[in-house]
Amino acid sequence: MMKDKKGFEFGFNWIFVIIVGAVILFTAIYATTRLVETDRTVSDTFVAAELNTLLHPIETNLEDAKYAKIGFNQETRLYNECVPAGNFGKQQISTSSKIGVGDEWGRKSVRKISFNKFIFSREFEEGKELNVIVKPFEMPYKIGDLTILYSGNYCFVDPVSDIEDEINDLSFNGQKDIGIEVVDDIEDCGVGKEVVCFDIFGCDVNVNTNENDQVVSKGGEDLYYEGNLIYGAIFSEPEIYECQVKRLMKRAGELAHLYAAKTEYLAGKGCGSNLQEDLRTFATLTDTESSADLAGLGVYAEDLDDDNEFISTCKAF
Amino acid sequence: MAFVLVATMIFFAIVAIFYVSIKSSSIRENVSDLREDEIIEVVRKISGSPEFLWNFEDCNSCIDFDKVLMLKERDSYKNYWGGISLLQISRVYPRFDTEECELKTYPECNRLTLVEEENIQAHEAFVSLCWYDGVLEQNKCELGKVIMGFEAVG
Repeated sequence: MMKDKKGFEFGFNWIFVIIVGAVILFTAIYATTRLVETDRTVSDTFVAAELNTLLHPIETNLEDAKYAKIGFNQETRLYNECVPAGNFGKQQISTSSKIGVGDEWGRKSVRKISFNKFIFSREFEEGKELNVIVKPFEMPYKIGDLTILYSGNYCFVDPVSDIEDEINDLSFNGQKDIGIEVVDDIEDCGVGKEVVCFDIFGCDVNVNTNENDQVVSKGGEDLYYEGNLIYGAIFSEPEIYECQVKRLMKRAGELAHLYAAKTEYLAGKGCGSNLQEDLRTFATLTDTESSADLAGLGVYAEDLDDDNEFISTCKAF
Repeated sequence: MAFVLVATMIFFAIVAIFYVSIKSSSIRENVSDLREDEIIEVVRKISGSPEFLWNFEDCNSCIDFDKVLMLKERDSYKNYWGGISLLQISRVYPRFDTEECELKTYPECNRLTLVEEENIQAHEAFVSLCWYDGVLEQNKCELGKVIMGFEAVG
């Protein structure tokens, strides 16, 4: 007995439709995901470039210090990378943003490279706002601007008067929140703040301001400083600090050669100062291993400054 | 059915090409704007850079012309100006017969070029050019300008 079996004919057409349909669907999903990701990276790259541009107007000319607060549209992570190799080393910044889709933090954007910036911060800083303090660094002439970037809150316990005055100036005597609180006693520091102690030990960051042993100790590492580098040492990751010091010294060396050439040129015009040799010696000394060499270099720089001051006309710097 | 699918794929491909071309043109425009913004900021602040800084008076917009001349001679600075396609210091007044400044012709020359590439868009800022005048035996400043350019996109 034959039964009339009603079946679904699964012919070539249907197999083709299912396979091609799946390919189209998969391609569309994959392409959309990649587009969103690429869009995010492009937009983060623009943020890094804009941030780099924003740092130019806060560089110093005659000022002792400058402060700015930089805001982002969304939670942003700023990565600070320092490369010591080359004539001047290089500063690289990249960003990634936090949005609701995909990974919590997106991929790092394309790096924005500069040779004349020295950014001191942790490996990355994150938030919707970043505090920026810019201080010039001189040894004995201006070598560059130190850009201190931080997103956390800091508590300075009994800082030396110069630093206390500086913080008060930048914060308009506490009227403006610059992310740094100055207190006399460690007990007065708010919860969750990074405590920076001056000539007292046992805090997150300990600063020794003794003239013969200027050192910032943090995370079991000692970072030696001269002049305004104290800010860099307080706020930055030890590896980044050491790398930026190396870059600063490279630029100091190149500038020493520049000043030596200028001094020689002026001597040819009948206005010699005999500083060329000292400047060239200084240039060789700037090839430092670590911040521990800064103290010796500082002494030589002071002597160089005294000799330069002693010249009546045609000063080198 | 197969033809419908092929047509759908072609349609999506055309949409994708259209999207990518619009997107890339918008990116090009943004890159150009960013480069321009950066050059405008750099040209404003260049006199504060240690290589240009005039150390002898409290002068915000003074440039040490002698130092910049030495800078031109230093090979180590050749790749230092990354992203800057034109960097020139030009004298506004008085003008001399010699255009480009070299060691032999300096300071009686009009222009000192540190970087010069093609296809650029330039911006300028007025500055004081200061140097030691061997005849007057004192420092002297004159009106000049810094011209900076970036590579145009597209």
